[in-house]
Amino acid sequence: MPPIVKYFLRRLIAIPVSLVIITMLLYGFMMLTPPEERASLFYPRRVDRLTTERLQRLTQEIIKEKGLDKPFPVQYISWVSSLIKGQWGYSPLLQNDVLPLLLRRSAPTLELTLITMLVFIPTGLWSGLRAGKRPNGRFDTLFRFTAFTSQSVPQFIVGIFLLNIFYIGLHWFPPERMSLGISSIISSESYRAFTGFLTIDGILNGRLDVTWDAIRHLILPVISLGLLNWAVLARIARVSTVEEFHKEHIIAAKARGVPENRLINKHILRNIISPSLTSSALGATTLFTGAIVIEHTFSLKGISALMESINAIPDIPSVMGFAVFCILCVLGIMLILDVVQAIVDPRYRDGVLNK
Amino acid sequence: MNRDALALLSSTIQENRQSRRFFRHWQNILGVILVLVFIIIAVGADWLAPNSDPTWISDLTWENDIYKILPHPPAPETPLGTLPTRRNAIQIDIWTALVHGSRSAMKFGLFAAAITGFIGVIIGTTSGWFGGWINGIAMRISDSLLAIPVIVGVVVVQQVTLILAGNTLWSLINPRGLENTSVFVTWLGNLLRDMDATLLAIILFSWMPYARLMNSIVLRNKELSYIKAAQSLGASSGRIIFKHLIPNSISPMIVLFSKDVGSFVLLQASFTFIGLKSPSEWGTVMVYARDYLVGLGGNLFANWWVFLPITLALVLFSVGWNLLGDGLNDVLNPRQTHSL
Repeated sequence: MPPIVKYFLRRLIAIPVSLVIITMLLYGFMMLTPPEERASLFYPRRVDRLTTERLQRLTQEIIKEKGLDKPFPVQYISWVSSLIKGQWGYSPLLQNDVLPLLLRRSAPTLELTLITMLVFIPTGLWSGLRAGKRPNGRFDTLFRFTAFTSQSVPQFIVGIFLLNIFYIGLHWFPPERMSLGISSIISSESYRAFTGFLTIDGILNGRLDVTWDAIRHLILPVISLGLLNWAVLARIARVSTVEEFHKEHIIAAKARGVPENRLINKHILRNIISPSLTSSALGATTLFTGAIVIEHTFSLKGISALMESINAIPDIPSVMGFAVFCILCVLGIMLILDVVQAIVDPRYRDGVLNK
Repeated sequence: MNRDALALLSSTIQENRQSRRFFRHWQNILGVILVLVFIIIAVGADWLAPNSDPTWISDLTWENDIYKILPHPPAPETPLGTLPTRRNAIQIDIWTALVHGSRSAMKFGLFAAAITGFIGVIIGTTSGWFGGWINGIAMRISDSLLAIPVIVGVVVVQQVTLILAGNTLWSLINPRGLENTSVFVTWLGNLLRDMDATLLAIILFSWMPYARLMNSIVLRNKELSYIKAAQSLGASSGRIIFKHLIPNSISPMIVLFSKDVGSFVLLQASFTFIGLKSPSEWGTVMVYARDYLVGLGGNLFANWWVFLPITLALVLFSVGWNLLGDGLNDVLNPRQTHSL
């Protein structure tokens, strides 16, 4: 087995451990509520049509069957086993099963998050490298100012100012997820949704106008979401570049007359990717929280729309489903960054494997 | 001159050198000034804006009903103009919202960052000091918690608060329910209801960086000879932790703290903006100001007073604390590379 596959498997195994710890904490926190409320996690679909009396009897049955008045481990196991079976509960409020609802709603959020990552990681590495190459140079001064400012401006304010300029003023990039004409294409018979991501589905269906429209709607959200993460990553990349340039092997290579471009591509780039991606993996939750805020600002109708409809009303199944789902997404993002880091930096990979 | 005086003198010189280094960069001076300005505004809020409720302006009578739903430009009574909310006839006085908003933002940021830092430092130090499997478990948990977005925390905390608040209310009406609910849960429900869900979620899910950093420092420091000496003199674990380990590794924490004050306030404003219940005055103003920026006929120049003061306040608040954090980082952790 090649080491990278071994590494991937090792990391994949670590995810359930984190998940168990997190879900234990979540459920433990939920246990502050009375068992009658927690029984709603296990309600069947027909709960809407029951009378109050039947509902109370059903609640008592569920409490007895699932052991909701028993100690923590019993309750936790019965909840987790229903999660694993895919029964994430039924929300009477939203009149829908929670898991399909989450899956349907998550496409815009995930599309925004993944495209933002594809944009801010390469640009962050590039600008950090360029700035760190000549510390205190003209580009570096400009870079430090930009990065510092983008770290201090809240994302939603960037979002509404960009919308004001580029939508209200110039009519270039509209908010929301798609134009009216595109939504009729998507609901037509011949269009098939493969992934739910409009950019990819457009290409797969051979409808480049869908892709183009999706990109037009994504440009502003991606900028306002990515700016903060770009700044964090690029500042780390810059510091690492400055450090790398002071290392002995780089000075020696420079003295031998190795051209600068070759020096950067062969030696420096690989060494700065690792710390930069670590910082992004640690900031994965910031990215996800930001994605939800930005989604609201641009009314992309993703998982944030679901969150808004459940946040002021007692609805335990949706809230727990939302929490577990978001955490799964964050763990997925962390896994991706981690594996990329291991591909680029074999020392990091071997360090983990040998431990 | 005895030895104590000499030591005192040398430490004063040392401090002087540090503060000289701190004030050599204009960025650090700017950071200190910004933070001081916000502290002055927060302390003197009652004097600067006598009406603590930003909606006090609704008591004024306008000549015509149509004026009630329009933003009013700066006037002597309302130095930064007013902003109508969506509920008709209620106007927000921007100046009052700005001044009293900075008081609540300062309180929120300092309080949240202080509690978060305290929890993180305690967990990181104790687990590092005892080491072994305790350390393994504590760090494993803090690593796992790094995967919980704060927004999920807010939603979950709000849900529990909602149900507990409802339950305690219900149990007061229904005596049988009171027997079922323990005193602890009732007390906790009341506490949660009074507490802000955003604050609680931030405290619960942001202490991990402090704990991780503190942990790595303590693991390195506890092998040093002065700790060994204290141990061999019979000092208890508690004494070593609070007298030696924490004071000697606190400086990176101060840097983290100063940056967190700014970022927590931004986070709270964002949550208010997307409609989660949290009492950020600045966020509330932005919710209504949004319509004048991206609504029909939104214009950057027509009604500038509805968004510009609050936007500037949010940005400058965060810039101030970030600059302060970067400056402290350069002085307190000199071996680290200059980051800005």
